[in-house]
Amino acid sequence: MPVQPLNAGQLALIIASAAFFLGGAAMSVMQGWLNRRPIRIAAKSMDYWAICLAAAAVIWHCLGRSGSWLPLEDNFETLATLGILLGLFVMYIQRTRPIPGLDWFLLPIVVLLLVSAAVFGTVRPNSRPAGGWWAWTHVLSSYGGAMAFAVAASVGCVYLLLSARLRDKRTMPGPNMGSLERLERVTQISMRLGFALLTLGMITGLVIVLDTGPNNGLGPHWMTSPKVLLATVVWVIYALVLHTPISSGVRGRRSAMLSILGFVLMFGTLIAVQFMPRGQ
Amino acid sequence: MERLILIGLNHNTAPLEVREKVAFDAQRREAELTALREKFSECEVVLLCTCNRTEIYLARSDPTRPGKNELTEFLARSGEFTPATLSGHLYFKTDRDVAAHLFNVASSLDSMVLGETQILGQVREAYEFSRSRDMAGRMLHPLFQRAIAVGKQVLSETKLAEGRVSIASVAVDYARQIFDSFADKTALCIGAGKISTLVLEHLRELGLKKLLVCNRDPEKAKSLAVKYSGKAVEFEKLTESLATADIVITATGSVKPIISRAMFEKVMRRRKHKPVFLIDIALPRDIAPDVGELTNVYLYNLDDLQKVVLATHSQRNGAVEAANLIVAEHVGEFVAWHRARELGPMIDQLFRRSHAAAQEELSRVIGRLGEISAQQREQLEDLTRRIVNKLLHDPVSMLRDGEGRHGSGQYRHAVTKLFKLDEDDEPTES
Repeated sequence: MPVQPLNAGQLALIIASAAFFLGGAAMSVMQGWLNRRPIRIAAKSMDYWAICLAAAAVIWHCLGRSGSWLPLEDNFETLATLGILLGLFVMYIQRTRPIPGLDWFLLPIVVLLLVSAAVFGTVRPNSRPAGGWWAWTHVLSSYGGAMAFAVAASVGCVYLLLSARLRDKRTMPGPNMGSLERLERVTQISMRLGFALLTLGMITGLVIVLDTGPNNGLGPHWMTSPKVLLATVVWVIYALVLHTPISSGVRGRRSAMLSILGFVLMFGTLIAVQFMPRGQ
Repeated sequence: MERLILIGLNHNTAPLEVREKVAFDAQRREAELTALREKFSECEVVLLCTCNRTEIYLARSDPTRPGKNELTEFLARSGEFTPATLSGHLYFKTDRDVAAHLFNVASSLDSMVLGETQILGQVREAYEFSRSRDMAGRMLHPLFQRAIAVGKQVLSETKLAEGRVSIASVAVDYARQIFDSFADKTALCIGAGKISTLVLEHLRELGLKKLLVCNRDPEKAKSLAVKYSGKAVEFEKLTESLATADIVITATGSVKPIISRAMFEKVMRRRKHKPVFLIDIALPRDIAPDVGELTNVYLYNLDDLQKVVLATHSQRNGAVEAANLIVAEHVGEFVAWHRARELGPMIDQLFRRSHAAAQEELSRVIGRLGEISAQQREQLEDLTRRIVNKLLHDPVSMLRDGEGRHGSGQYRHAVTKLFKLDEDDEPTES
């Protein structure tokens, strides 16, 4: 499949989008303490602009190539689309059942994704390995799982922040961040969704590897490749955290910390996949 | 000459024993309002009665009746006091001071708990109560409407209502940060002290699923449980009760902690480490301080809660200043508006009387002049009218400006006397 390199216009759009998301996050932090309508409006406007700019960059990039209409053909498209979806998710949550503080943590992840899209899209504009629907399912479920874990980790951060505030018995009122119970519930739901998608991603990945035999992208020792090992560790961590409602030695703060650790590893896996030379 | 008057008492001027005797429930308020209306039929009246204050707001058509003494007697009789006994606890205000006081009350600036929002609803309810019975109209309607608007503005535009205000509300505020829903939560109250009852009162408003009351004296536990629709549990089964409770309030008279870390570790295991909120308001403490170090345990003692209360008071000094500015601005506007409305009929009367006198003199002069044309007559009438208007322009302007500046009614009084406006509006004989 021909690779469509990233042009300067698309790069500018994606960088502008990342800047707007960063501005939106900063405004949201300000809003937490000042609670003024103009700041709220400014934060939302920045987020809307950021999403529009990123979407424009992805559409522009897709129009310049042949192949599937899905914006998942290369690193740039996949990471940018993931960022847009995550941004949309933040907007949706904050509109329906707001979790103050969520965008403080989630929007920087979006920024990271967009910057990664810009960097990897320029440095290593890989097209995805062919593999038919198995490959698409693998890519979609893996990235969808990562998105859900990003949400879980962000809510986990808010949980730790609120928990620390409650334990410190701080006298300053500070921003309203909801309740620990609600944050824990959102973390659990996000992790369950992410875990299901990650499991699907691992199964489809296994099918692809077995199907392609020695020509799989991970080489002959695929079971010990960093990608498979990291993904397995992430899977085990989330399995442990999701086990908490049954045997609840790990809940509350511990659960929040594990959700963050799991996401860091998951993100590490994604990055490792980008940098890893073919056949490892 | 005052039209608006207020007589009342509050938590600053009267102790609870006095306040409770002149506190009126809805039924008694209806009876008292009716009695007042029967006695002073031309008055508009609103009776504001809360747990911290009883106040009668009156708008009089006769500027002398009812007076302070009559209203003192009325309140004294209601509370079965002698007027002399009660008068020491009462405050009496007129006109501008009435508006300023009511605006302060509606903004919670006169409340025991600064920033409380309940008072605004109580002011509105008192006004609606009178309005629905045709006891509040032309005078009190704008006063109360503006008071409610001022209260809303202060509570929304200042930080007066932000933060925590009492130990009980601080506890509730923390509970809200730990739990999302209270419909599935159980609270356990250990001991039956005054503060724990107060905290229970606040927590009950959250809509708890179950309330357990535990006390060494089973009878006390039962009576408190009945009062708050809870269930009394035996003190010997404290560990079992703790394992089921999400919120624990302790206020026993024990000299040693009744809940140790080792005991609570077991409790946490039994409750599968679900978060628990512990409020220890006993002195000496009922819960060992190291219990608060356990994961998912949020322990607050009296000092922690009191610290927050004090901190929010000092934090809100700036908010009080901002609220005072809003109130002062509205009082000024209301008084100016009120005086303009009061002066309107008086100025109108002054012009009418002066024009009538001028016309009368003009008619005499025209009679002496003999035959004049209609055009000439019209010119003379116009001349007279302009002379009267010019002569009255400065006094009326001074009256309006002077009233606005001094607000003492001196000019109004002077004009009334100088032009004999308090006499019947008959054409004057010159």
